[in-house]
Amino acid sequence: MRKLFVAIALAVISSRGAAQGALSLQGLGYPTGGLTARAEGSGGGVADFDPISVVNPASLGGVGSAALFFQYSPEFRRVTAGSATAKTTTARFPLVVGVLPMGQRWTLGLSSSTFLDRSSETNLVRLQQVGATTDSVEVTERNRVLGALNDVRLALAWSGSPTFRIGFGAHAFVGSNRISFSQIFPDSLQYISTSQTGRLSFAGFAASAGIEYHPSRVIGFALSGRKGGDLRAQSADTAIGSARLPDHYSASLAYEGIPGVSIAARVAHDGWSSLSSLSSGNTKAFDGWDTGVGAEAAGPRVMQRLVTLRAGARFRTLPFAFNGDKVSETSYAVGFGAPLTRERASFDFAIQHASRKAGPDVRERGLILSFGLRVSP
Amino acid sequence: MRLSSLLLRSFATAALFIAVSSCSENLDSSGVCAVLCPEVGGEVQNITLDAVVFDTTVQALSGLGTEPSLLLASRGDTLDTRVIIRFDSLPTRFTPTGDSAQAIKSVDSAYIRLRVDTLSIKGDGPFTIEAYDVDTTANDTSSAAVIALFRPDRFISSQVLARTDLKDTTNYYISNATVLAKLQSGAQLRVGLRVTGATSSQIRINSVQSGLSPLLFFRATPDTTTKPLSVAPFSRTPASDPIVAGYLNDYTVVVKGPPPPPPSVLAVGGLPPRRTYLRFDIPSNIVDSTTVVRATLLLNQISNSALDPTDSLLIVPQLVLAGTAVTDPTKASQIVSDIPGDTLKVRPGNSGPTNVELARAFASWRAVSPDSLPRAIVLKVVGEGNSPLDIRFSSMEDVSALRPRLRISYTSRVPLRIP
Repeated sequence: MRKLFVAIALAVISSRGAAQGALSLQGLGYPTGGLTARAEGSGGGVADFDPISVVNPASLGGVGSAALFFQYSPEFRRVTAGSATAKTTTARFPLVVGVLPMGQRWTLGLSSSTFLDRSSETNLVRLQQVGATTDSVEVTERNRVLGALNDVRLALAWSGSPTFRIGFGAHAFVGSNRISFSQIFPDSLQYISTSQTGRLSFAGFAASAGIEYHPSRVIGFALSGRKGGDLRAQSADTAIGSARLPDHYSASLAYEGIPGVSIAARVAHDGWSSLSSLSSGNTKAFDGWDTGVGAEAAGPRVMQRLVTLRAGARFRTLPFAFNGDKVSETSYAVGFGAPLTRERASFDFAIQHASRKAGPDVRERGLILSFGLRVSP
Repeated sequence: MRLSSLLLRSFATAALFIAVSSCSENLDSSGVCAVLCPEVGGEVQNITLDAVVFDTTVQALSGLGTEPSLLLASRGDTLDTRVIIRFDSLPTRFTPTGDSAQAIKSVDSAYIRLRVDTLSIKGDGPFTIEAYDVDTTANDTSSAAVIALFRPDRFISSQVLARTDLKDTTNYYISNATVLAKLQSGAQLRVGLRVTGATSSQIRINSVQSGLSPLLFFRATPDTTTKPLSVAPFSRTPASDPIVAGYLNDYTVVVKGPPPPPPSVLAVGGLPPRRTYLRFDIPSNIVDSTTVVRATLLLNQISNSALDPTDSLLIVPQLVLAGTAVTDPTKASQIVSDIPGDTLKVRPGNSGPTNVELARAFASWRAVSPDSLPRAIVLKVVGEGNSPLDIRFSSMEDVSALRPRLRISYTSRVPLRIP
């Protein structure tokens, strides 16, 4: 009898799958990218030069003054699978940054950014035999996951001259997924619905470095890289898996030869496949390229404030596959930035339209609004 | 300037609206679950076990007079029950209208107001209800002593009631002289009611326990401006146990009950009421390590056509809370609590498979070791003692296919891990 139960338990466990409900939420979740509203509004092109975006630690050197930055980025998502659709709203606070210049050459930055966001909820209704062979009832499987893996970075940048900056970062990847799973049966007089909760915790480390070089006033280059260390996952006190955090490399080019206009392009590579070993199921992770191009231009003056207008496009491969197919994302973004209160604060806004697809049948559209507020105390 | 201000305000308003509306998260993407949500919970496992290790029929032991109704029945050779109502405290003085209190010297229009359950009446009538003086010094709970007093020299009165005379409130008139004699002598008035008729007769009367107590009314003066006196049932004995005395305010005595079930059969209900006690041996890996979503006791009902086979009864399962120290199943069957769930509606004349849902019992069984709390239940009828009907089931002594069994549907805990 005991062997029978073990066999049943193994069979049940081996049939687990991911109940994420969206292309972008496969596996460990959606990579928000650590970009500010400014960088998002320009397709990610300026990310390596943006002192607030947490991509290139060297860019911190260009921050100018001490600053605190907060970003709120809700996403309105619509997933279509054949004739079925689902609309969701995800509220994210993907970026908090504090930057502190120390003297003329050094700048220290502490940030927390969402690395992989797995917040989702699904309700799957299926027929289940409960009792006699003729007793089939509809059971609703409710699976809710809240939480994310976050990248906490402490970075230091050195700027010897306006043409060259170099920076280093130490990253702690921490976070948790709070999971609640319920099986809800229709008749509480006959059946007992089940409910269980769990928390998956993550901890890992990485290091990053980057440079920013402006050989002339019209052109700039940036290179950055992050080397991932071990990422461990545990449930309560039990280790349930480990993997290497994905390596990340990026290169950017900025052109400012047109007065009032800055054009930037960026290409990055993420070694997401290193996370595959963390998966307990069949979820596959692919390495992916992330390319973006965008421009910033001085816009009109509104209430005596110069508004910066932005536009860009971005194409990237999301980390986790759906049914073995890579999930690609194409985004188009526009945005603006405006100084506030005597240049001691600034507000950035971006709106991105992201199209995601994997295979022929499933489409996803995301409308991401980003509100960024920078305050210089 | 004005245009700029207007633009800024419009944008600020739009941004505020969007920010507020997006604060209320809606993560539910169930609409595409057919494609994007693989099953997580796995299959429910269903097993049927010969889990019953002990079963027996026990007396309800709820005690004489605890039932919410009184059964006055004369069903030929099958059933004969009488109703006893005690008026042990009768008034000796009254206050006429406009006068002072004085001793009662006459009794007029004496009757007992009965609250009749008219929907349960059996027989077409007419119903002859006889009243007897059943006052005795014999043991209070001795039915035999009381039954012996239904004899001519104890006869008080008789009243013939047509079927249409039996209403929700029915007045049964008794001898004024008997009431006067009792109250003047300071004696107890204990009335025994018996029904007879040309045909089978059965009348259910609400008892004190139902809250609609029988009441004795009489006039102490012919003057109709003075209100009649009313007397509620009251038993002085047993003086040492006021709770039992309270139950004995009114009660049913069974002169002849339906034939008892054979020893190898489980029975629920009847008069005197019976319960079925069942104890299980359930594998601990099911109770402790899985989540039971449904548990069904599979019984085989045996037809019992002795009395009203098409009438229905409600059976309810109860969890036995008596610990292992209580080894007597009859006593253990009195220490019970409800198992939340539906009642089971059954007819005595039916036969075949009958299911009793028990899933809620597993929560208690999981919490307490079987070494402390036997995994046992009791089956009882709703309103024990109200009805002479009993339901019968095959016991574990029957052939294998008809024995009580337990079918359990369970699911293992889902490992909440990385997808």
